[in-house]
Amino acid sequence: MSALAQQWSESLRSATHPQVLPWLDALRLRAVEQLTKHGLPHRKDEDWKYTPLRVLEQLGPAVATGVRVENLTPAPEPELPAALIDSADCVIRIHDGALAGTEGGDQPGVSVLSLSEGLEQHESLLRKHIESVDINGSAQAFASLNTASLDQGLVIHVKEQADAGTVLLRWTLSGTADPSIHNFRVFLLLGEGSRMQLVEQYESADHGGSALNVVSHFDLAREAVVDHLLLQNESENTILMSSTYIEQAQGSRYNYSGFDLGGGLVRHELKTVMAGSGAHAAFGGAFVLDNSRHVDNHISVEHAGTACSSDQFFRGVLGGRSRGVFNGKALIRPGADKSSVRQSNANLLLSPLAQIDTKPELEIYADEVEASHGATVGQLDETAIFYLRSRGLSETEAKRLLVGAFCRSVTDRLENQELAGRIAELIDQAMPSYESRGQVL
Amino acid sequence: MMLEIKNLHATVGGKAILKGLDLTIEAGEIHAIMGPNGAGKSTLGNVISGREGYEVTQGEVLFNGNNLLELEPEERACEGIFLAFQYPVEIPGVNNTYFLRAALNAQRKYRGEPELDSMQFLKLVREKLEILHISDDLLRRSVNEGFSGGEKKRNEIFQMAVLEPSLAILDETDSGLDIDALRLVARGVNRLRSEDRAMIVITHYQRLLDHIVPDRVHVLADGKIVASGDADLALKLEEQGYAWLDRGGIQSLDIDLKA
Ligand SMILES: Nc1ncnc2c1ncn2[C@@H]1O[C@H](COP(=O)(O)OP(=O)(O)O)[C@@H](O)[C@H]1O
Ligand SMILES: [Mg+2]
Repeated sequence: MSALAQQWSESLRSATHPQVLPWLDALRLRAVEQLTKHGLPHRKDEDWKYTPLRVLEQLGPAVATGVRVENLTPAPEPELPAALIDSADCVIRIHDGALAGTEGGDQPGVSVLSLSEGLEQHESLLRKHIESVDINGSAQAFASLNTASLDQGLVIHVKEQADAGTVLLRWTLSGTADPSIHNFRVFLLLGEGSRMQLVEQYESADHGGSALNVVSHFDLAREAVVDHLLLQNESENTILMSSTYIEQAQGSRYNYSGFDLGGGLVRHELKTVMAGSGAHAAFGGAFVLDNSRHVDNHISVEHAGTACSSDQFFRGVLGGRSRGVFNGKALIRPGADKSSVRQSNANLLLSPLAQIDTKPELEIYADEVEASHGATVGQLDETAIFYLRSRGLSETEAKRLLVGAFCRSVTDRLENQELAGRIAELIDQAMPSYESRGQVL
Repeated sequence: MMLEIKNLHATVGGKAILKGLDLTIEAGEIHAIMGPNGAGKSTLGNVISGREGYEVTQGEVLFNGNNLLELEPEERACEGIFLAFQYPVEIPGVNNTYFLRAALNAQRKYRGEPELDSMQFLKLVREKLEILHISDDLLRRSVNEGFSGGEKKRNEIFQMAVLEPSLAILDETDSGLDIDALRLVARGVNRLRSEDRAMIVITHYQRLLDHIVPDRVHVLADGKIVASGDADLALKLEEQGYAWLDRGGIQSLDIDLKA
């Protein structure tokens, strides 16, 4: 494992990058050094305890450099699974960790830029975000790797009071004989009072065991509102590491809903800092897994301003030998009085070999805080299954209905009815095999 | 013969509950089963509908001449067996209408009949709701979730009316119903009465049998049918209770037993 980090470092040391900026060159080098020195996360890293990284060994020694795209030009559509939403105002494709085309995104006050263009127009803001990411230590290896190879990215800038509408990011990976790890960086810069609905779809037509390491930054100025929906429906040999850093000013609202229905090894790290008062952050999601899939949701919410509210709400359904992790942290800093914080994670285990590790953590150092948290692990209700079967539904259908109902508490939270319906359908299709009385049905 | 139960023995959690039960029912008949609490009445309903955990250790159950015991619960439902639960199950998040249409279509598919689309289904459902005085609102809710006791029981009969089973087992459907609800339930049941249907009505009270007059009445005690008679037997049982069971059997009771 540490050999892989050394090989990656080696391949990055000799890389050249299209953007020539002294501070960025220096930072990339420092990140390579960190990666060399500390290697990849291991079991002793508390934050990685439940997510072993052995499957990374399927990856080649080189970090993919992608296709260098300096200017965004529409590329012909390759064969893709159906888009999650048809009515997007802007569709951006990112293939093998490189921009592969955009459509739309030309509303007033909205600019969709490549990383190079973004650095020309918003250098100081991007620099602030890039430098704010912790790249020290093995637990931060994927942030180091992303920074060390930083030259592919997307920047969406939304001016104050502008509405970017719905932006769809379609992430795909191709099948290659020599699978490697691809890196990409996203910046979403939302001016005061601006709005955006971001929909991310991670779903490839077919591919062969490659990996994607994405780091995203959300900068929400005062009163900005972001609805962020993520669907990950990849094949079982796909590795996805995603880290999302959110900075929220006064009165801003960030609303995440993540649905993981596929993938091999998937990790979502989402961190928000609510520095301004009266901000709101919601993290909802469902993971419905079978086979040997592994999905890890690491959420961290920091209340720094007063009267902020946060809500974490995850539902897990685990069949086969799959494994799910929910680690939700909420930190209420001194002075962040009148905060409200909720955490809820409920899970259904459909198979004796499936596993869930759930760990809600709450640290409160302020006054007048309203807090609730809970985590449960259970099984499908046998009485309910019999009731449904006694009316003529097969055991599989009965189970499908019950799992759908269990996850509906998450899809019901979506404001967009079209998306809620589509996601519910996908959850139905993702239904894991169910073991009862020793048989797999 | 629609249903033939011969020398049925069943255990629940290793404990013997049914201990040699015999019962035969012809199409078109309604049989009432009465008996003290814990006698095994619900167990009989569960065994007939195939509930997991109810193990048949001896005897046989034939439905239209076929071995019922080797079928899965959903196959039994598709063959025409319906159990109105003594304690209907609340299923949060599963819509009542969606569930019932899925169930009806699963049964139609099994029988090689075309499935109903939502318009056709709604039309069918409206008629049945009328009979049971159930409001549309109930359809939009989750299965039995937050229903009152009476609403749950009426929902069972409503499901029965939609699914039109050939053998319905009503397990204490009358318990906890006020007199108006009882009349509605009886109306739903009587509408379904026909020459090719049969029903088993498990009850403690005569009052349901005033509305649904049974062809036969059986007393189930300690896992066996200990007495059978016509509708009058139910009246006597209501008057005299079950103390005679300990007193030396049915003969000590002043009734005319017809074999
Ligand atoms: N799931 C179960 N586990 C253990 N014992 C049960 C179970 N279900 C029923 N029993 C027992 O079986 C006996 C008969 O129960 P039941 O058939 O419900 O009686 P009835 O419906 O005639 O009142 C009772 O002693 C009851 O406690
Ligand atoms: Mg009972």
